Amino acid sequence: MRSFCFGLVFAAIAAGQSFEQAVQPVLAKNCAGCHQDRLASGGFNATPYMKLASLTQRDDWERIVQRIRTGEMPPKGAPRPSEAEAKALIAFVEAEFTKADKLVKPDPGRVTARRLNRAEYSNTIRDLLGVDFRAERDFPSDDSGHGFDNIGDVLTISPILMEKYLTAAERIAARAIGADPLPKKPLEFEYHTKDKNIRRPNKSSIEATHRVEWEAEYVIRIGLPGERAAGAPPVKMGLWMDGKLLTTKMVETKPSGLVYFNPYSAEELRLELPEGDHTFRVGFIDDEFVKGLSDKDAYSDKRNKFLNSITFVGPFAAKGERASRKKLLICDPKLAGCSTKILTALARRAYRRPVTRAEVAALDRFVTLAKADGQSAEQGIQLAVQAMLVSPHFLFRIERDPASGVVHPISDLDLASRLSYFLWSSMPDEQLLALAEAKQLRAQLDTQIKRMLKDVKAVSLADNFAGQWLETRNLDQVKPDPKKFPEWSPDLRDAMKTETRMFFQTLLQENRPLTEFLDANYTFLNDRLAAHYGIPGVDGPEFRRVTFATNERGGILSHASVLTVSSYPTRTSPVIRGKYVLQNILGTPPPPPPPDVPALDEEKVGNAGSLRQQMEAHRSSPTCASCHSRMDVLGFGLENYDGTGKWRTKEGKFEIDASGTMPGGKSFQTPAEMRTILKDNAPEFSRCLTEKMLTYALGRGLERYDRKAIEEINQRVIGSGYRFETLILEIAHSLPFLERRGELPKQVSTKTESASR
Amino acid sequence: MMITRKALNRRTFLRGAGTAVALPFLDAMTPALTAATKAPVRMAFVYVPNGIDMRHWNPANEGALQELPRILKPMEPFKQDVTLLSNLTHNGGRALLDGAGDHGRCCGGYLSGVQVRKTMVDIKAGISCDQIVANDIGRQTRFPSLEVGLEDARQAGDCDSGYSCAYTNNLAWRGDAQPLPPVLDPRALFERLFGDGANLSPEQKALRSKQRRSILDFVTGDTKALQANLGPTDKRKLDEYLSSIRDIERQLLKAEKDNSQVNPGMDKPYGVPADFAEHFKLMTDMMTVAFQADLTRVMTFLVTREGTSRAYREIGIADGHHPLTHHRNEPEMMEKVAQINTYHVTQFAAWMEKMKSIREGDGNLLDNSMIVYGAGLSDGNRHTHEDLPTMMVGGGGRSMNGGIKGGRRIVYRKETPMSNLFLTMMDRMGTKVDHFGDATGRIEGLDLL
Repeated sequence: MRSFCFGLVFAAIAAGQSFEQAVQPVLAKNCAGCHQDRLASGGFNATPYMKLASLTQRDDWERIVQRIRTGEMPPKGAPRPSEAEAKALIAFVEAEFTKADKLVKPDPGRVTARRLNRAEYSNTIRDLLGVDFRAERDFPSDDSGHGFDNIGDVLTISPILMEKYLTAAERIAARAIGADPLPKKPLEFEYHTKDKNIRRPNKSSIEATHRVEWEAEYVIRIGLPGERAAGAPPVKMGLWMDGKLLTTKMVETKPSGLVYFNPYSAEELRLELPEGDHTFRVGFIDDEFVKGLSDKDAYSDKRNKFLNSITFVGPFAAKGERASRKKLLICDPKLAGCSTKILTALARRAYRRPVTRAEVAALDRFVTLAKADGQSAEQGIQLAVQAMLVSPHFLFRIERDPASGVVHPISDLDLASRLSYFLWSSMPDEQLLALAEAKQLRAQLDTQIKRMLKDVKAVSLADNFAGQWLETRNLDQVKPDPKKFPEWSPDLRDAMKTETRMFFQTLLQENRPLTEFLDANYTFLNDRLAAHYGIPGVDGPEFRRVTFATNERGGILSHASVLTVSSYPTRTSPVIRGKYVLQNILGTPPPPPPPDVPALDEEKVGNAGSLRQQMEAHRSSPTCASCHSRMDVLGFGLENYDGTGKWRTKEGKFEIDASGTMPGGKSFQTPAEMRTILKDNAPEFSRCLTEKMLTYALGRGLERYDRKAIEEINQRVIGSGYRFETLILEIAHSLPFLERRGELPKQVSTKTESASR
Repeated sequence: MMITRKALNRRTFLRGAGTAVALPFLDAMTPALTAATKAPVRMAFVYVPNGIDMRHWNPANEGALQELPRILKPMEPFKQDVTLLSNLTHNGGRALLDGAGDHGRCCGGYLSGVQVRKTMVDIKAGISCDQIVANDIGRQTRFPSLEVGLEDARQAGDCDSGYSCAYTNNLAWRGDAQPLPPVLDPRALFERLFGDGANLSPEQKALRSKQRRSILDFVTGDTKALQANLGPTDKRKLDEYLSSIRDIERQLLKAEKDNSQVNPGMDKPYGVPADFAEHFKLMTDMMTVAFQADLTRVMTFLVTREGTSRAYREIGIADGHHPLTHHRNEPEMMEKVAQINTYHVTQFAAWMEKMKSIREGDGNLLDNSMIVYGAGLSDGNRHTHEDLPTMMVGGGGRSMNGGIKGGRRIVYRKETPMSNLFLTMMDRMGTKVDHFGDATGRIEGLDLL
């Protein structure tokens, strides 16, 4: 897309020049020396490109232009065209491309069969069977392309993933139906400090990892040795599973008066636990008493009441029937014909389309098979569910072409899946599926989208789209140096995530203008993050909307999440931040540095001068300056925020200078003024967001033929006053979203480098 | 250490709270394998990113190894097992006509000797040499190959200058467009190798295996019917799916046939340890057992990702690895890079020690292995692709005829393709290949002189 923007900028300069004036002489003078006929260095011969007609060889020409633009060619030491000559050449070629693009027949492109990625798999299992499964804990990472992990071409299947699918299907089916009989007698597993199979995260909690083999009820017994001083108040004991608080109970800590040595008590909790490996933590909440105790006293039964064991006793059959089972077993499996009924209903939802009799019969054979092996009909259904969950019809979203090679509207059923995986990262619900089956979905597209956006499942746009667009998913991997950033903690990290997530959610839910991403004067904070920002008056751990009293902050570029993922572990990087803004906000990523040019020398910080002074010295090199003048200025504009997004006015002993002049000549003194300038680029920002979101919605990289659709969407978004909902609606109404090009059976995919630009 | 049901009484399978009871490494419990046949040769590739400080890697002299340079120092006790190979080049890692992106390029094509396609989407590398061997001999073991790593894939953003993250996330490639992701979580590796710990009777196990196979039959039929009407791109996706299904079918059959369960002699690990050395040790302990029990003969180990900015606070280094390698000759930064390089080799040496401690026939496990430790860049600052740091450890079947001598450094002619080494190693594994990557022939000196 980048070359397209350049084309517009330079088209004016080229006006009036011909190929023979603007292009041919440069090739002859500056390229042909090395790239001609027999001496075709690097396999490139310039001669065929000296004619206007050669511009139809688009990919070759895009490479030539790319190299001239980046200064990669001609190489150092060889005669180079003047800047004006190079610009005129680029402008001419780009203008010709733009002209040619207008004549091109509309092409919706085609999306490769996509397997569900980890997030989509988990959500689909949740909506299909009501089972909470976390694929990101079990499956290998999904590779990403164009910044998103839902791109069909890049989502591959390996034997290891297949193994995971198979075992996941077993576990999930067993959890959903629960047909396997529980053991006749409950079993007991004890975790005890004396056996060293328990951890002590702090003085008043213990933690153990336990495998729950059956989804059922268990008694959890907590061993509590010791007693506290007479009159010590009761304390609240909590039980957490995988970080989630399940239940609490008040516990007496003062002497019971019943024993004279080795005081000990036990507490029991009974609750239903999901199958799988889980980390259980038991501890006293807000336990003031232990704060003053030494390590020795904290575990002395004379001085303290503490925790030392967790015992799991079970399984016991749960009292109520689990919801997933009730939903799936719509008749009594023991009765004739019932399994067919159950499997027909479930397969339709699992495959996201009506199923044939033959398909159901094939699934029904698993019931027969299980019975032949002495299992129950329910176990047979469970086996059939397993089979469904590893079927390509479930794991892949495959769109069919009626006639090869022809552009055609996708079916209503495919559209239902496109919509639901775009907005929910999950399967279509009953309403979407029913409308699609009745071929009514297109007619109700807008109503359905508005309904879907109101659904709580739409939060996956914030998690999966925004988390990747804004790169905030990387918060789990960054490790700010605790020496430089002592306040960094998992709590702070989670608060940062929540801020950006709620902000995105709010803009979407309230249909606010996209420009608020750039300059909103409000955000979402809890006490932890507000303290980090130095904003007074925010008490308590819950997040709430806060309007800024000063203009230190505004928009996502002042969110700590964004500022942290665009920093090094020890300090800020104006280059990374500048690149971030160009790539994710303005949609004009800088080209990669040409080979042999050393990366910027920004490591010597603090020795000879401020980071800024050193970088400006470096920029005196013309090769570096062409890109860094664009990039660094934006990064420096954010220097008031440190490597974890905290406000600062000094960097070591040097005053922060956050001023800058954009290549267009506009200048700013503060981050607030930079925001104003960025807001002047609102059309570029919304085009950038359109491109990102269209990529995500389609699950493929954008191609040259998508430019028209992007422009149309963006114009309508601008026309609506940048409304968020307009962006979503227009993407859903766009040609690449609604239609698809067929593929000739033997035609080899001929994607070229343009896909990577 | 491992035991199989064939070799040991079932009473040794003491089962506690759902996990196997740890047993010491005892030679008496080695499987029936060693008694019956000659030990097989194993092959592994260990990849470290961002190059290595070559000043502290290359010894001054050719020939017999004297005192090892700083980074290799941890290998001192096993010097006689080490062969240093100098002047090997991976030409496909270079830009040629593709511009920037050395990090993105040099890992994905490292084991295949090709230049990967510069793209974010329609990825194309080549089949890697470990997979060529796995295709050839993998049927003899439960797992044709194992892929292991220590660092999770980047979750968002681009990887390097227009290269898909698939190239930096994966070392092993089963085909041009089918990377094999490494297993990162010790628990997942444990469950894959030694079972998920479910308490099943032999009858229940047999039934599960049978049912799994009937499911695989079902989806194979489904897929073939589905493929009939698809275009070539979508068909290719389903081919990947089918070939993975076939792999698992074979695994199941193999497991049914030898009906043995390997006891790894360790408790099932939970989650990924925060400490690098601990993570490294957990994974390599299991890899050792996998080699020893002949669960596989081929492994790749992607220590961390190319271009990684991982900080090594374990040894007091707070800066990211990649930014440090662009050190512009600042002594302080170069020092930190050398420390990271040494730290990696220290962990690797501990693994080699373990391999060597395991007796096999008249020698040890390391005698029957070829472990290559290397990187796709030599100078990480300038992104050079020649004289790549390459260390071969192990005798390559020393207990048999023609093992690798070790204890020396061989300096090849400049620009000798890395592919020549891999071609030679494939020979040694008994896999005959005529053409491979940019190989121009075999390399000399990897035989017993």
